[in-house]
Amino acid sequence: MLAAVLAVCTLTFERGYAGAQSLEAMLDGALQPSAAPSLLGPITEAGRVGWACKPEQAAAANSWQNAELPRP
Amino acid sequence: MFAACGSFARAQMYPHATPAPRTTSVPELRALATGREVVERFHLGIAAEQRADWPAAAAEFERIIALDPGEPQNSTARYDLGIAYANMRRLDDAARQLQSAIARDPGFLAAMANLIAVDLSRGDLRDARAVADRFVAAAPDSARALYERGLVALRSGDMVTARNDFGQFLQANPKYAYAHYNLGLAQTKTSDYASAEREFQLAVDLAPQYSRARFALGTVLLREGKRAQARAAFATVAGDSATDPALRNLAVAMRDAIKSR
Repeated sequence: MLAAVLAVCTLTFERGYAGAQSLEAMLDGALQPSAAPSLLGPITEAGRVGWACKPEQAAAANSWQNAELPRP
Repeated sequence: MFAACGSFARAQMYPHATPAPRTTSVPELRALATGREVVERFHLGIAAEQRADWPAAAAEFERIIALDPGEPQNSTARYDLGIAYANMRRLDDAARQLQSAIARDPGFLAAMANLIAVDLSRGDLRDARAVADRFVAAAPDSARALYERGLVALRSGDMVTARNDFGQFLQANPKYAYAHYNLGLAQTKTSDYASAEREFQLAVDLAPQYSRARFALGTVLLREGKRAQARAAFATVAGDSATDPALRNLAVAMRDAIKSR
């Protein structure tokens, strides 16, 4: 596979013709959006309106840390 | 003293007492018993989720829903059941429960957040976008709402929304590397390579171990004709043993292809 990639890269960046579409597809495969955030946690029988409902607070938070988004 | 503390701590773990029945009415006694069962099952279900015993948790919340409590317990039980199902990889069932939770409580932001994540996992971008639009409308400053809708837009090919949402997100969170990377991807898709280069560079400055962003930086530099810089970026990814092997192999190939010129 590595040899194939090399061949495609060489064709594309040195001679600028065939193989460009394959290379684009390979690069597009590598350039995927980051993963979706993990799920917010469970809520007690008191429901989401209580002041201590952390998942609801996280859903409304303005900062990424309080929103429980993944840490890079 | 420690023994006393231990017994005190255990006592605190019991659920709050439900009201003592002060009636002889059978319907009222039945309603009180049902309320007590709902509360007890919430405690059991959440304890099961906390130890990642998802089938046990699902059984508790399924029983609560069968008892058909009023709000907020009905939508909350569906939310909790959605979490259990999602972790059991029953993604369609999870989505149904979260949709029901939102139908019963239209302002339930945590349910919207989780439903978008579930929809992304099961590949239902149409539902994810509908929920994400609703989430942003309900909480325009929410970091999760903007970030999740940006992801949905990026995966759906709506680069205008993706750029707007990640841009707005970054105004409040300028040091979040993932958002810079995702914004850079949206800019790359619209051939705005100069802006994309800046965003990818910011991502790797903020998180130097973020190999996927560094690889993306290399591809944009290559498109801009900055071959030496591109090669350096690919070489860094290729030399990072912590990188995903597939990405590392591709980085090696890109680095060597540029070198051979």
